[in-house]
Amino acid sequence: MDFNKFDDQTLMKLIAQAQEDALRELYDRYNRLVYSMAVNAVGENSLAEEITQDVFLRIWNNAETYSPQKGKVITWVSSITRYRAIDAIRSQQVRPEGHSVAWDIEGSLDNPDPLNVEERVEITQRQQRVRHAVAQLPEEQRQALAYAYFQGYTHREIAELLGEPLGTIKTRIRLAMQKLREYLEEENIAEA
Amino acid sequence: MKTEEHVYDLLPAYALNSLDEEEKIIVEAHLVDCETCQLELESYKQVVDDLPLAIKTKQPPADLETSIFEQLAADRQSPELQDRESWLDRLKSNFLSSAPVWGAASLVLVIVLLFSNLYLLNSLRAHEAVRHTDLTTVAMVPTDYSPQATGMLVISGDGEYGVLVVDQLPMLDDTQQYQLWLIYDGQRASGGVFSVNDEGYGSLLITSEQPLSSYPTFGITIEPTGGSPGPTGEKVLGGEL
Repeated sequence: MDFNKFDDQTLMKLIAQAQEDALRELYDRYNRLVYSMAVNAVGENSLAEEITQDVFLRIWNNAETYSPQKGKVITWVSSITRYRAIDAIRSQQVRPEGHSVAWDIEGSLDNPDPLNVEERVEITQRQQRVRHAVAQLPEEQRQALAYAYFQGYTHREIAELLGEPLGTIKTRIRLAMQKLREYLEEENIAEA
Repeated sequence: MKTEEHVYDLLPAYALNSLDEEEKIIVEAHLVDCETCQLELESYKQVVDDLPLAIKTKQPPADLETSIFEQLAADRQSPELQDRESWLDRLKSNFLSSAPVWGAASLVLVIVLLFSNLYLLNSLRAHEAVRHTDLTTVAMVPTDYSPQATGMLVISGDGEYGVLVVDQLPMLDDTQQYQLWLIYDGQRASGGVFSVNDEGYGSLLITSEQPLSSYPTFGITIEPTGGSPGPTGEKVLGGEL
C-alpha cells in the first residue's frame, strides 16, 4: 500500500488499526517538527530525541482517541509534543533558559516533508503567514512568548527568569498574542 | 454580562496555558457561561496552534526512527502494559469491599493525599469539605468511547461538597477538557471542568449551587477548554446515586 498518498486523517485511522507503515509515513511527515519543538523546549538533543520517540509511541497508542473534530493532525501532534516536552522540563528540572528559541523570522521555508500536494500547499502558506507574523513582534515579546509556549512557564516564572516585573511580562505576552492574532486575521482576509 | 466583567486580558495567556493558578481559576469560572469570551478564546487558540510553524526545523538523527520502531515492537511483547490494573480499581476493591462507610471515608483521605494539587487541597481546607464522615460514593461507568476508564464521585454527608476522581481517560489536547454534568429531570448543570494527565488520572473539586445529593445522575463529556453551557461532546463516563 502506498501510504504517502493518504491524507493525515486517513493515516490516523490506519494507525488506530495498528498499521505500522502508516505510523512510518506520519513519522516521515512530522519528525522534523516534533524533534525541533522538543529541542526548542529542552535545549539539548538527546532529551529531544527521547521526547520525539515518546511522542510517536503515544500517537501509536492513542490514535483511536484522535478525531477530526479535535482539529488537524498537525495540531494534535504539536500539542502532544508541547506537553510532553513541558513535562520533561518540569520532571527533570531541566533549566532551558540558557538557549534561545530558533524562531524562523527570515521567511525561509523548510524543505517540505512528503505530504500530499494539497496539504503541502496549505501548510506552506500557513507557515509563511505565521513566520511573517512572528517576525513583526519586538524581540522581547518573542522571547516571553517562547518561554510560555515551548517551555510552559507561567507569567510569574518568566518574570523570575528574566528578572523583570510580573506586570511587564503579562503585558509582553498579551501584546504578542494580540498582535499575532491581528496579523494572522488580516492575512487570512487578504487571501480570501 | 457586562463588558467589564469579561476576562479579555487574561485570555491570550490562558490560551497559552501560562496563567498562574488563581487567574486560571477565574478564567475557567467565567468561561462556563460566557459565549463572548469562549469565542475570543478560540481565536487565540488558533494562534497557539499555529506557533510551532514559526520555528526553524531540523532533521533528527537518522537512527531515531529505527529506535522508535524497535521500542514499539518491544512494547507489543510486554504483557504488563496490556493488563495494567487501574489504581482506582485497586483502591475501590481495597477500601469499599468490606466496610463501605469507613472505606469510603478512608478513600477520600487517600484521594486527597494522592492528589497533592495545591489548589484542590487549599480549596478543600477552605471549604472544610472533609468534615463529614457520612459520605456517599457514586461509581462512574465508562461508555464505549473509553471502555477502560474508571471514575468515582464522593459526596459529603450534607450533600454540599464533592470530589471526582477519574483514571485511564484519554489525555486530551489543550483545546479540550472533560466536563462534569449534574443531571436532574433532564436538566444539566455544570459541575466543573478538568483535565487528565498522560496516564489518564484527573480530579475535580465539584462546585454546585444546589446540593449535590439532589442530583440523581452524573455524566462526563468532552467539551472545548473551559467548558460549555450544555453538553456538546462525546459522553465518556456516567453514574447514578
